[in-house]
Amino acid sequence: MLRYATRRLLTMVITMLLVSMLVFAVVEIAPGNVARNILGAYATPEQERSMENQLGLDRSMAMRYVSWLFGSDWQVSSRVGKSLKEIKVSQGTVKGFSQWWAVDDDGSLIQWDVRNGNLIKLVRQLDGSTVEQNDDAAWQTDETGRKIFWGLDRHNRAALWIQGEGGTEYRLEYSGWIEAKGAPVDYIPLSKGLVRGDAGISLQFKRPVSEVIGRKIRNSAILAGLAFLFAMPLGIFFGVIAGLREGRLVDRIVSMGGLITAASPDFATGILLIMIFSLKLKLLPGAAMFLNDAGILSQPRMIILPVLTASLVEIGYILRITRSSVVEVMQSNYVRTAVLKGLPYHKVVMGHVMRNSMLAPVTVIMLHVNWLIGGLVVVESVFGFPGLGSFILNAALYKDVYAIEAGAMVLIVLAVGSQLIADFIYSMLNPRIRYA
Amino acid sequence: MDERRIHPLILEAKEDLKKGNMSRRSFLRLATLLGLSAGSAHLLGFGALPKARAASTPITRGGVLKAATRIERVDHPARFSLVSQSHAWRHVFDYLTRTDPSGITHPYLLESWDASDDLKTWTLKLKKGITFNNGKELTADDVIFNFSQWLSKDVGSSLLGSLNYVDPAGQEKIDDYTVVCHLKSPSVVLPEHLYHYGACILPKEFGGDITKEPVGTGAFLMKEYVPGERCRLVARKDYWIKGADGKPLPYLDEIVMVQLGDDPAADLAALRSGQVDTVIEPPVSLWEGVQNDPRFSITSTPTAATRVLRVRVDQDPWKDPRVRQALKLCHHREKILAIALRNQGTIGNDSHIAPANAEYCKDVDPYPFDPAKAKQLLAEAGFPNGIDVKLNVANDWPESMAYAQVLREDAKQAGIRITLNPMPATQYWDGWTEFNMGITWWSHRPLALMMLPLAYTADENGKPVPWNESHWINSEFQALLEQSQGIADVEARRKLMCKMAKIMKEDGGVCTPFFMNVWTITTKKINGVEPSPEEFAIYHKAWKEA
Repeated sequence: MLRYATRRLLTMVITMLLVSMLVFAVVEIAPGNVARNILGAYATPEQERSMENQLGLDRSMAMRYVSWLFGSDWQVSSRVGKSLKEIKVSQGTVKGFSQWWAVDDDGSLIQWDVRNGNLIKLVRQLDGSTVEQNDDAAWQTDETGRKIFWGLDRHNRAALWIQGEGGTEYRLEYSGWIEAKGAPVDYIPLSKGLVRGDAGISLQFKRPVSEVIGRKIRNSAILAGLAFLFAMPLGIFFGVIAGLREGRLVDRIVSMGGLITAASPDFATGILLIMIFSLKLKLLPGAAMFLNDAGILSQPRMIILPVLTASLVEIGYILRITRSSVVEVMQSNYVRTAVLKGLPYHKVVMGHVMRNSMLAPVTVIMLHVNWLIGGLVVVESVFGFPGLGSFILNAALYKDVYAIEAGAMVLIVLAVGSQLIADFIYSMLNPRIRYA
Repeated sequence: MDERRIHPLILEAKEDLKKGNMSRRSFLRLATLLGLSAGSAHLLGFGALPKARAASTPITRGGVLKAATRIERVDHPARFSLVSQSHAWRHVFDYLTRTDPSGITHPYLLESWDASDDLKTWTLKLKKGITFNNGKELTADDVIFNFSQWLSKDVGSSLLGSLNYVDPAGQEKIDDYTVVCHLKSPSVVLPEHLYHYGACILPKEFGGDITKEPVGTGAFLMKEYVPGERCRLVARKDYWIKGADGKPLPYLDEIVMVQLGDDPAADLAALRSGQVDTVIEPPVSLWEGVQNDPRFSITSTPTAATRVLRVRVDQDPWKDPRVRQALKLCHHREKILAIALRNQGTIGNDSHIAPANAEYCKDVDPYPFDPAKAKQLLAEAGFPNGIDVKLNVANDWPESMAYAQVLREDAKQAGIRITLNPMPATQYWDGWTEFNMGITWWSHRPLALMMLPLAYTADENGKPVPWNESHWINSEFQALLEQSQGIADVEARRKLMCKMAKIMKEDGGVCTPFFMNVWTITTKKINGVEPSPEEFAIYHKAWKEA
């Protein structure tokens, strides 16, 4: 069993690695490059090149993949010749944003800037302000005799300055282009990489993807988890009831009910539920409105209608799968034998039918975990629920690459993880599968 | 009014008012613009002050106002280019002036202003004793700093275009509370521009990101700001304006603004089930959902806000004015108004001057719907087989989508084959000045004089100003516009506006088939919210029945 588990886990890691390459490559080759998507179709080639440079997109795809997965701080550290440190700073309404600093020989934290050809060292003080010092001695001479310097700028990037050669930097603000002269000629954006929990900065929100997506995952997990806990026992229970009484009135009623809930689209169910429970009866809130960071936890009533909407479809689905599986098992030879040898009915059902008929529903349910988390876009949109589904949808519409990649990876981890759990459950239900 | 000098133009205007050349509102506007307080203007023009309407119920303090809106990504207020970016921050920062719902501008952080006779030198006097929420007093240095931010090319301010008449180096500190502002060319709209939603007054130590330094003179403190999700504002205890009960404003304890996603149905459900008290900038579908519901108070206001279909006149196929005219001839305006706005608006004539603007000229009729003529114009311009174009449109704005769809069907007959390219609004804004053809959201401004310099002029190098999304530059139009900026008399200005509207209609790179009404919709529990044609959310004086 232990060997089996280890092997499965190892396969999972390899799968994840392969899939991460695939995700990266797909986002990469999707039509339109990142800079173009940010800048619109009419940016000049200079503006596009400047933006690509600032985002580090001018580096090779392999390098960018490595940086995305494992971070770029260790690559930068060797160029700067100092160790780097990421600190979290809170200021005003912005909590815990990252600042990258180089650690100077005396232990102080420093960044650099170049003004009028002079290299200036910015030394961080305890209160967060900086003191400027001339650092011209740090210029290095390259083989062509130019004075160059790799350092950290004030926007969490490693930057290459060349004395006397100012690059032109273009930034796109809401109001249009801003052109800055005397900028560094090359950049490497700093990140810790996905495996260390840093999924990059969202182009949409200018905040770390991991911070934004974390809340969405939590919200969706609660929604999906509750829907799951609600739908699974009910679906299985009614499915078994209907399956055992195949063709009778109970089966007809339950099957028809299941068909109706499975067939009604969730946006229709959602709006119907809002109209009944929220507008007519005024029992429950009609929109999922999160007034503080605790979100659902502080206002549990808000989750009831979304959970109900999501579970109704699920219940119908699980019910029908379970029912047909139970019907099939009921017709098998071993159940007939068990009945004929005089085993009490409840023992036949609990000992033989249940166990054997659960394989199909478990497969379906586990495959549906993924659907529940990522596929709740419609339910989320009807209730204004800030979940992962609508997050990924918006990221895709906006072409927010780091958010798409992070979202895709989360869904894949869930898919692979839930499949792993399904496999363990199989092996418990049917020992013959165990060491296969 | 004490012994302060009355601007000669006010006295002239008073004569106009007597002779009936000037409406009451225009007189008040002009007089207050030139430095008379609204009360004094009333006394001068009409002899008596209108009685303030007494509040019907006693004001109660406390409570939380919940509003649904977009929580936008922001950094520097001078770079705001959407009204929705300002809703939350308007409560943290104040403006030097304030334009009331009837279009009259008053001093706000200012004590008074005073214009020289040639309208080129403006003296701005600050109120004393106003403090930022970090305890520092507001002084002339802060005001000068703010001008430098608005006028600096490095900041990329959205006010740069509208304040093009202000001399970037022309702000002079007289004493701690007095700034003299020198203009490059005469203008009457400075006080109104100071109420532009990006003209928030920042302290001079400001570093460039309000989410990190929410330091303003406003009535609320920003406690939490999460773009795309929510923000929370908490009342400040020492705001400089007193309420009706003698204690400092605001009456509310807290304002919470929430973004409920991009589906207006969620906003409607939240409003109708009482989860939010108001929806800021409600779309027409929301108004339809609550228009007959007695639980809400609804005010409808015609505005100069519109959705402008604009084409890049420096790019094919729009370089020829005849092609632009052909596009305008494909507009069935009544149909567009009916379908896109449920008739909740007014018809436009492709000049960006609305009936709600003070200087509107009613003599310029819009092009009729005439696809045959359009087809002929296209052929004359060298497109006998018609043209294929891609229309970029934000699918979060239902009226833009409806407008685009009606136009696509109607323009087929003329040989203009339009492909729609819908996208989320955030993506539209990231490239809005760059699209070949697109439908852009434009907010209301009280005067056409405030609108036109933003989007239809060139800078001193002959390049389009930052918001000139059509890249349309017309020297005759620009000359008329500059001339009208120095004319205080509304009737004289209206004559120029007639000429300008005609030029814009025939040559311009935009179509404006309609101007929209806006609604202020709150639950009946909320009082003291002033309707605003600009759709500004203003809750300083709002209070909630317990």
